[in-house]
Amino acid sequence: MNDDAIINDPLSLSPDTTLQSAVEAYAQAEALFNSIGDGAIATDEFGHITKINHVALDLLGYKESDALGRWFPRVIVAFEEGGEKLDMIDRGFTQAFLTGKPVTQKVWYRRKDDTLMPVSSTISPLVLSGRPIGAIAIFRDISREYEIDRMKSDFISLASHQLRTPLSAIKTYSHMLLDGFMGPISPTQKKSLKTIVSASNRMNELISTLLNVSRIESGNVIVSPKNVNLNHLADEIVRELHLAIKTKHINLHVHAPKKPVIIQADNLITKEILINLLSNAVKYSPDGGDVTITVQPRKSTVIISVSDTGLGIPKASQPQIFTKFYRASNVVRRETTGTGLGLYLVKGLIDALGGKIWFESIENHGSTFYVRLPRTYTAKKTNTTNGLTSLDKHNSSSRKL
Amino acid sequence: MAKVLIVEDDKDLNQAYQMILKRDGHEVFAAHNGKEALKEAQAHTPQLILLDLLMPIMDGLEFLKKYDLAKQKDVKVLIFTNMENSPEVNEAYKLGAHRCIIKSWTAPQNLSHVVREALQDNPKAASVKGA
Repeated sequence: MNDDAIINDPLSLSPDTTLQSAVEAYAQAEALFNSIGDGAIATDEFGHITKINHVALDLLGYKESDALGRWFPRVIVAFEEGGEKLDMIDRGFTQAFLTGKPVTQKVWYRRKDDTLMPVSSTISPLVLSGRPIGAIAIFRDISREYEIDRMKSDFISLASHQLRTPLSAIKTYSHMLLDGFMGPISPTQKKSLKTIVSASNRMNELISTLLNVSRIESGNVIVSPKNVNLNHLADEIVRELHLAIKTKHINLHVHAPKKPVIIQADNLITKEILINLLSNAVKYSPDGGDVTITVQPRKSTVIISVSDTGLGIPKASQPQIFTKFYRASNVVRRETTGTGLGLYLVKGLIDALGGKIWFESIENHGSTFYVRLPRTYTAKKTNTTNGLTSLDKHNSSSRKL
Repeated sequence: MAKVLIVEDDKDLNQAYQMILKRDGHEVFAAHNGKEALKEAQAHTPQLILLDLLMPIMDGLEFLKKYDLAKQKDVKVLIFTNMENSPEVNEAYKLGAHRCIIKSWTAPQNLSHVVREALQDNPKAASVKGA
């Protein structure tokens, strides 16, 4: 038996050496816990705080004696963004103990002075032989990130509005010239003016997308629930995209029940969702391809699907298709225009309406996107894309999400 | 036709809207901020006001509060803005605005159309039209 084997086999150590190792390991763990740059709290299996580091104390404004021995959820009170106390069942602490897995959340913790602080917290259960023996919570103050994100959204929103003012003048005057306000124009001048109008429309669409993204991210999507006739809406979006459909010789099929399908939703948001899906289907279809819109009413929901016989989404790109700025690999090779914001926006808007989106796609055969919307809109707590929850209490008929 | 007050701080757009509505036969007055609009509205009692929201000196929402639509007779306010679906638009509706139109999406024929439509169920405008 060589020396290494003796050292690596704890069972072969004398009791004194085992105790010495345990003391050293404890000291190491203690030093590690105290030197973590984030707030760290340890609890026993009942959730009583056994340890809290100085960063956590500084962030929360507590003294060690305020926390030690007390029940974690009572000391660390968590709130949603709108100021509503998080239900016990939704807390990362509860979820970590229930699932036995680490849970990461973005919530607001209450400080000792009653002010709220946005944090990103990860709570990991400590499990020994399948039995929970405690938990470790690590959290970080994200006020600065939150503020920067809000400033970025405000900036995009302001810049977009400012961009639209000169654009309004370009569009209005181009139309006035086309309509002969300033005298007759030649066919060549007419063609050039139409190009200006079409380019300003494209610019306007881009600004609209940016504005909508900034609204979703800042929690400023206003939902005004009204009765929306999906049969009419389908006709309307087909009319709006008529030119693109005709130019690409797309065979468009609309399958909807004869009896109007009416849901309670926001007309503009629903339209924006469907326009995005239909224009994608047309854009990525080959000349003469088939595009089908289907409206299927269910008991408490409606499923709208938009399918095409186009490029399809490669399997490797599928998990990221709703990610901001992501564009599928086969699309990037063919199209240089496009922002990678369309489906990200669609998903955000569907979330705002309390719906769901999913898809089936085979590369080079086509895609079908399914949207399930509730028949009755229920104002609900919704996660915004930065993970913080938002709840508007100012307006009963319209809801900010 | 009708008396229309255009409240828009962008001089080019203000000018364009004046040209379009004058061609449609309306009597048109112009203001470039809420303060000027209050004076013009008092002096000419328009049946329709095209109101921008973001303006210097006095913005559109402040104008709506001061003008107090509830106390005015037979006047409609069309919000002309680029702030679609924003809290400001929601506020304007609460203050009595009739409709909200996105400027950058509006071609001259749409402007003529929304103005005509808004005036259709305005009895005072109809009598002016009939006269």
